[in-house]
Amino acid sequence: MSSNRIMTVSRAISEAIAQEMRSDPNVFVMGEDIGAYGGIFGATSGLLGEFGDARVRDTPISETAFIGAGVGAAMAGMRPIVELMFVDFFGVCMDAIYNLAAKNIYFSGGNCKVPMVIMMATGGGYSDAGQHSQTLHATFAHLPGLKVVAPSNAYDAKGLMTAAIRDDGPVIFMFHKGLQGLAWMASPEGAATELPEESYALPFGEAKILRPGKDITIVAISMMVHHALEAANALARDGIDAEVIDLRTLVPLDRKTVIKSVAKTGRLVVVDEDYKSFGLTAEIITSVAEENPSYFKSPPRRLAVPDVPIPYSRPMEQFVLPDAADIAAAVRASLGKAA
Amino acid sequence: MPSKSQFLWMYEVMEKARYYEDTIAVAYMEGKQPKFDIGAGPLPGEMHLAAGQEPCAAGVCVHLRADDTVTATHRPHHVAIAKGVDLNKMTAEIFGKKAGLAGGRGGHMHLLDPAVNFACSGIVAQGAGPAVGAALAAKLRGTDAVAVSYVGDGAANQGGFLESLNLAGLWKLPVIFVIEDNAWGISVPKAKSTAIADNSLRAAGYAMPGFHVADNDTLKLFDVAGDAVARARAGNGPTLIEVETYRYYGHFQGDPETYRPKGEVAALKAKDPIARFRKAMIDRKEVTAAEADAALARAKAAVDEAFVFARKAAYPAPEEALTHVFA
Amino acid sequence: MTDIVVPKGLWDTQKTPEGIVANWFFADGGNVPEGATVAELMVEKSTFDIAAPNAGRLHIVVAKDGVVKPETVIGRIDGV
Repeated sequence: MSSNRIMTVSRAISEAIAQEMRSDPNVFVMGEDIGAYGGIFGATSGLLGEFGDARVRDTPISETAFIGAGVGAAMAGMRPIVELMFVDFFGVCMDAIYNLAAKNIYFSGGNCKVPMVIMMATGGGYSDAGQHSQTLHATFAHLPGLKVVAPSNAYDAKGLMTAAIRDDGPVIFMFHKGLQGLAWMASPEGAATELPEESYALPFGEAKILRPGKDITIVAISMMVHHALEAANALARDGIDAEVIDLRTLVPLDRKTVIKSVAKTGRLVVVDEDYKSFGLTAEIITSVAEENPSYFKSPPRRLAVPDVPIPYSRPMEQFVLPDAADIAAAVRASLGKAA
Repeated sequence: MPSKSQFLWMYEVMEKARYYEDTIAVAYMEGKQPKFDIGAGPLPGEMHLAAGQEPCAAGVCVHLRADDTVTATHRPHHVAIAKGVDLNKMTAEIFGKKAGLAGGRGGHMHLLDPAVNFACSGIVAQGAGPAVGAALAAKLRGTDAVAVSYVGDGAANQGGFLESLNLAGLWKLPVIFVIEDNAWGISVPKAKSTAIADNSLRAAGYAMPGFHVADNDTLKLFDVAGDAVARARAGNGPTLIEVETYRYYGHFQGDPETYRPKGEVAALKAKDPIARFRKAMIDRKEVTAAEADAALARAKAAVDEAFVFARKAAYPAPEEALTHVFA
Repeated sequence: MTDIVVPKGLWDTQKTPEGIVANWFFADGGNVPEGATVAELMVEKSTFDIAAPNAGRLHIVVAKDGVVKPETVIGRIDGV
């Protein structure tokens, strides 16, 4: 059943959750302001009204307790979806995430399951300063036992959330605030998409080539996908044909699609909104280099936040966040063309 | 009972804080009408205003010195003002200007002024540990400086806060914990977040006295805080104070506040704590109306000057984002 | 043709005279079912969902980010 509804990412997420809650009574939602408020970033809009406060629970500001409780409930057979309001808040409860949720399947030799979704808002660009603007892809992707997904659009968001809820292990679901389609925060044109009414799941570990091209490969995830597409459009006007890949999930990571692309184009630019060193951009470049460094006709380039806290003041924040112009410049430099 | 100068000081600080928040509220909407785009205008991002909570700042900070440490929350302006943070630099920081306390790097939730030992931050309860640390430093150095940790009612349920209470009680540190109970943790009322109604009762579990100040009473808080500060300076350890206070604005500016009962804010404004305090001090003949008016005029002038300063100040160069990461 | 109208009394216009169309959830010319949420309005930071009064083809009158007041016609539905 196709639909010509155009839905925002936030509505796609809450629809995915609602559909799973309708079909599986074990699914429930916990977090701060996820009830009547519908989530600070709209991810749980409408759920309290439909399912009531036993299954849609506002919690105190006690992340260690309620994320730990999510682990316990998951191990007891429930399917909790726990919202950690801002990814930046992971600091107060990381133990429950990386030491418990992530490792209990392993510690039990596969005898225990932890079917839990931890969803969190990421991203900056609207002056929320260093403790409310981070993306932290690498922080979670680096630690074994966690699947990590970060959709760039509504269609993917619904499918990946559905898959995350059905997964029997912990899934970190990272939604970028600037992609949610909230009325009060600008979002790029391609974030809201046509959204099927029926329930569907998308597999993890499958990147998507959003724009095929032959001259260079641009790899991105989440918000940076939209900047990459904007850069590719600008570059096309100058006869540069860029291939844009949306990774969609960090763990599992679709290295094959990236490697195949760079084997074809010979050039690579990776862009990430997270901090630069020790992160996603390094992982992608290394994955290609390990396979065959001679794929590179020119040195691979990476764009990310330059290892500083996200500054508050607008000119400084805009300076540290990669944008379409930065990506296009990196592409031109890779091709030995003038900026 | 406050002295005359203390009465006037508290009154001026509260009027200054109130006028400051009301002025920011108007400035915040510049560039955000008719479309509310959170990233637009001269004050982009989130903004958490403390109008109504002024007694919590004035009633405690009146007893403090510059060498006492205060840590505050994401709703910090009234406390910063009461602690004596440089108003021009603070306002420039909030406007993201180079002349700001951190050259625009921190913004409204991250105001740090070492000259008066003030710091605030954006993670709930995050300031409790550092306040304990400042108190520890005072004890190790043998001074009688104290520390004050401001947190909200929501923070009372955060692990780090409870750990800080225990550590302070265990080591008998000169720190005062002040819970500004404005009844809401964003959209969640205290009754739905906290297992007991009165957080001052938790003090007993952490080997310190606890006090509850009802209904935003500046004079009552003055007494309770005065005792707590004296206790700490004398080496007799920490205190927990919970103040029932009012949040006139939403959690953040632009908060639709659909969760808030209609008429609640109007009812709170009808018993405005600054108006009550002014009346009390004039009725007791501590201060004349003319003196109070002069204090109010001074307060407003200081705020107006700070806003002029901030608006005129230059933005930092973009590359300044890269400096001051390390010492 | 039915009008999609911003309801009167939806918000306190004394406080905030205008709002905007924040999102359209169907493309111009697309088919909308009766009762489906077709648009989202924003007034300051409050949002309101607007439903299609009947099924049919949507014609957008006020585009995204366009300013609205109560009783503004934001779109029309061709109930064929």
